[in-house]
Amino acid sequence: MVGALRIAIAEDSAILRDGLVQLLVDRGFVITGAVGDPAALRSSVSQNPPDVAVIDIRMPPTFTDEGLRLALDLRSRHEGLGILLFSQYIETRYAADLLADDAAGIGYLLKDRVADVSDFVEALERVAVGGTALDPEVVTQLLGATRRIDSLSVLTMREREVLGLMAEGRSNAAIANALVVSEGAVEKHVANIFAKLDLPVSEKDHRRVLAVLRFLES
Amino acid sequence: MTPDPGEDSSVKVRIGGRELSMALTEEQKLRVKALTNTVLHEPFTARPWKELAFFLLGSGLAGVGLAFVAFTMGAGVVLAITVVGLAILALSLRSARGIGALQRSLARNMLGEEVEDPEPFLGRPGFFGWLGSRLRDRVAWRSVAYLALKVPWSILGVFVAFSLWWDAFVLLTLPLFGHGGGGSPVWGLVSAFFPAHDFNGFNSGGFTRDLAGFVLGAIFFFAAPWVMRGFVNVDRQMIRSLLGPDPMATRVRSLEQARTQTVDASAATLRRIERDLHDGTQAQLVALAMRLGMAKEKLEVDPDHVDLERIRELIDAAHRGAKEAIAELRDIARGIHPPALDIGLEGALATLAARSAVPTELSVTMQARPTPAIEAIAYFCVAELLANVAQHAQASRASVFCTQQGTWLRLVVRDDGTGGAQLTTVGSSSSGLAGLADRVHAVDGQLYLVSPPGGPTVVTVDLPLAT
Repeated sequence: MVGALRIAIAEDSAILRDGLVQLLVDRGFVITGAVGDPAALRSSVSQNPPDVAVIDIRMPPTFTDEGLRLALDLRSRHEGLGILLFSQYIETRYAADLLADDAAGIGYLLKDRVADVSDFVEALERVAVGGTALDPEVVTQLLGATRRIDSLSVLTMREREVLGLMAEGRSNAAIANALVVSEGAVEKHVANIFAKLDLPVSEKDHRRVLAVLRFLES
Repeated sequence: MTPDPGEDSSVKVRIGGRELSMALTEEQKLRVKALTNTVLHEPFTARPWKELAFFLLGSGLAGVGLAFVAFTMGAGVVLAITVVGLAILALSLRSARGIGALQRSLARNMLGEEVEDPEPFLGRPGFFGWLGSRLRDRVAWRSVAYLALKVPWSILGVFVAFSLWWDAFVLLTLPLFGHGGGGSPVWGLVSAFFPAHDFNGFNSGGFTRDLAGFVLGAIFFFAAPWVMRGFVNVDRQMIRSLLGPDPMATRVRSLEQARTQTVDASAATLRRIERDLHDGTQAQLVALAMRLGMAKEKLEVDPDHVDLERIRELIDAAHRGAKEAIAELRDIARGIHPPALDIGLEGALATLAARSAVPTELSVTMQARPTPAIEAIAYFCVAELLANVAQHAQASRASVFCTQQGTWLRLVVRDDGTGGAQLTTVGSSSSGLAGLADRVHAVDGQLYLVSPPGGPTVVTVDLPLAT
């Protein structure tokens, strides 16, 4: 990787904010700003642009979806800025809003995921290079809410696992790693899934995520 | 008018040839004058004529209405074995409701009698739901009862009050037109007492008779407005009690409001607890897991270069976080239900007073124990009020008095701070004192705030011992 990744953080809980800064500095990231509310992040991002903004969804003043609106706003102003939304709850609708037109450089994770530092850092790096990182919980909710149960039943258990990991935004290599199989085997599964579900084959990982999500939501 | 001081201060009344003399005080004289004034002026004001018009119009309407409702109801009952009969009955009740509304607006426009509209009709979904609701519509049945009472009352009123007017009219106009008495029964009596004697075509008895009739007519003329008013006032009372909102329904409505407040208050409480958990314990636990995760990674990476110092720091921070999370969780649990309440209000309040940041004097004199719900509200009131004192009042002392007054519990929380507290409501959700007031109102209690700028602030909360 060329140089250290630059991260800005908006999180209103001081304990978590400090913990995150500690964790990321420890891992060699550069923190461009660590703030507690949307307005402060806006000015921090324009003054000292980061690669990724890590944003808590519930922030002052109303503690509802400030973070989500901030994320959409930053996306439209700063092209190529990665966004990692970070929350104690997963709302499937927030994911849908966030991924409305593009899944490139978008992440949506439960705060719990920071406990597995490597996974969290990996997700952050994925978002930084224009990939996607969706929480397994988002994928589970989407799989649970989908009306395409019949279509999913044509998949084998393994293929469903691969579908889930694919929806989280993982690359073939990462999926192979997670399932402890060869990358070739993953590629074969992915090809099968796309054929069985009649999905358009895409090269980029984040296009793949969108295709899968569209399929699950429709 | 001021009485002339030279005037004889007695009134002479001649009854049966004897003169009665009554000494009257100035005040009584004034009153008699005012009364005479009123009686003499009354027929020339608008009010009696409006009342007369209302009575005649309302009676006519009630008569037609009752006839219609009675006929349709009769038809409905006869056909009640079929759905059609029930539907006719329902429509009949629907029209009774309408007639009631008409009577109400008549009273409003002609008498200025402001009767609140009764509760609107709420039909259940579907035809049979509608039918059932119509047949059970209390407002409609009360309208029917009104019509059934109003019609006989109107008949009586027309006989008594209206015929007074009619007689007054006939008797007063008799000397002018010399008509035959126009069928007035009173004229018949007058004629019997003063029979006419014809002397060569000269009606000698006519003058005395006409004079007696005229005097009687005048008396009737001045008395009629008051008799009419009596009838109208009874009608007003019937309209108020039968066409206005049902007292039962009014009570139900106020209970519904209280219930809404309670539901809102408990929703707000749940939201607060969620917020506390989210911002406090959950965040603490995430940070804790994060630190342990970092420590774990540090142990895993390179067995030869384990940074023990850093790991110790991380575990130390995690340990502190865990203890803080436990303390926060305990506070939140206490916010849901204070365990101290299990031993009684006095003990719980003692804990609160002892924990208060401002030195607080406590006095509790209770003979009976309130219900748990009231104890909880009393506890949270004191907790919130003492927290307010600590945060805003800049007080050096505070006191809490909890006394029993009959079936009421009275809490008085006082501080010597800067005052200026207000029962403000922020947006749609009430905050602080206003939130407390809502909570207190939900159990029919009251919260009073006295807080002049410069202090002191006294908040008094009255709660029923049992809900």
